[in-house]
Amino acid sequence: MSGVGLEVGTLKVTMDEIAADLARDFAGDLEDVRIQEPDTIVARLAREKLKDVARRLKAHEDLAYETLNFVAAVDLGAQLESVYHVYSWRTNTWIELHVPVPRAKAEVDTVTDVWPAADWHEREAWDMMGIRYLGHPDLRRILLKDDFVGHPLRKDYVDLAENHPHV
Amino acid sequence: MGLSDMVPDRFKVAYPKLQSFRQPNIVTTTADFVFSWARSNSVFPFTYGLACCAIEMMSAGFARWDVARFGMEVFRPTPRQCDLMIVSGTVNEKMAPVLKRLYDQMAEPKWVISMGACATSGGPFYDGYNVVNGVDKVVPVDVYIPGCPPRPEALFQGLLELQGKIAAYSFTPVLPGARPVKEG
Repeated sequence: MSGVGLEVGTLKVTMDEIAADLARDFAGDLEDVRIQEPDTIVARLAREKLKDVARRLKAHEDLAYETLNFVAAVDLGAQLESVYHVYSWRTNTWIELHVPVPRAKAEVDTVTDVWPAADWHEREAWDMMGIRYLGHPDLRRILLKDDFVGHPLRKDYVDLAENHPHV
Repeated sequence: MGLSDMVPDRFKVAYPKLQSFRQPNIVTTTADFVFSWARSNSVFPFTYGLACCAIEMMSAGFARWDVARFGMEVFRPTPRQCDLMIVSGTVNEKMAPVLKRLYDQMAEPKWVISMGACATSGGPFYDGYNVVNGVDKVVPVDVYIPGCPPRPEALFQGLLELQGKIAAYSFTPVLPGARPVKEG
């Protein structure tokens, strides 16, 4: 496995070849693999398989998705979604992993042990969207104050008087 | 011998009152006037930029507008050396206790200017889940400056209003039965 900092795009492949590789090596794990942009592949993933797939994506012989750019969280109404944007230096492409999270039990395994950059991003997703990342080393609020009640970027969030002690 | 003694007599202008200052002399005034005059012309603002209003505050400090003309150019990064807090930007719920603590650390007498719509009322973020609707909920405010953000000229008007307020302030306790002193 190569380290970070190798030449960008040393592996000359087309997006179709990358998509074919993913479909072959991650059959049964990644669903709906499609090329969304000239350099980005989008795939859906069950949350039980997230950590295993993350490890294998990072350690993959050719694709080597080594760098986590950011973790996003989306409220789709019926369910939440935890989205991981991961970059591969070797192919100079991105992969977007969409992990559905049920509203009632908003829990996902952390990927901080695979990509340490996920630490603060998962804290922010917990802070704003209320997705609990199991196994996170320090899952506290990162932007809002510690005694804030609720997760304000959820669509069903109602502003509470407890969050405004000065009024 | 001064410089004026070297000027030929035909260029000299007679200032009878000023002539008397060349001798040891006495000026009578009130303590209130002297202290207020000194304080209002040497305000030390606190470097407390919270949002985009702070960019206008910084502009006001630089050469194009130059707040030094009013004796306020010494922005201090510590509350202990300041007597004016310009709250320039959005105060959120997490920042409010910090702001209160910094205000408490400033030495008396101290003043607060609420700069811009956010600091005055929450502004465009009035309904925000994490925004304090006006810094006057946390600390007492002396002058409010409207605008989003206010131009440096608007900040200057607020600062001049504050100077007038400081100049009118009495530092001496009024004793019972004392007659009010009128400025001559």
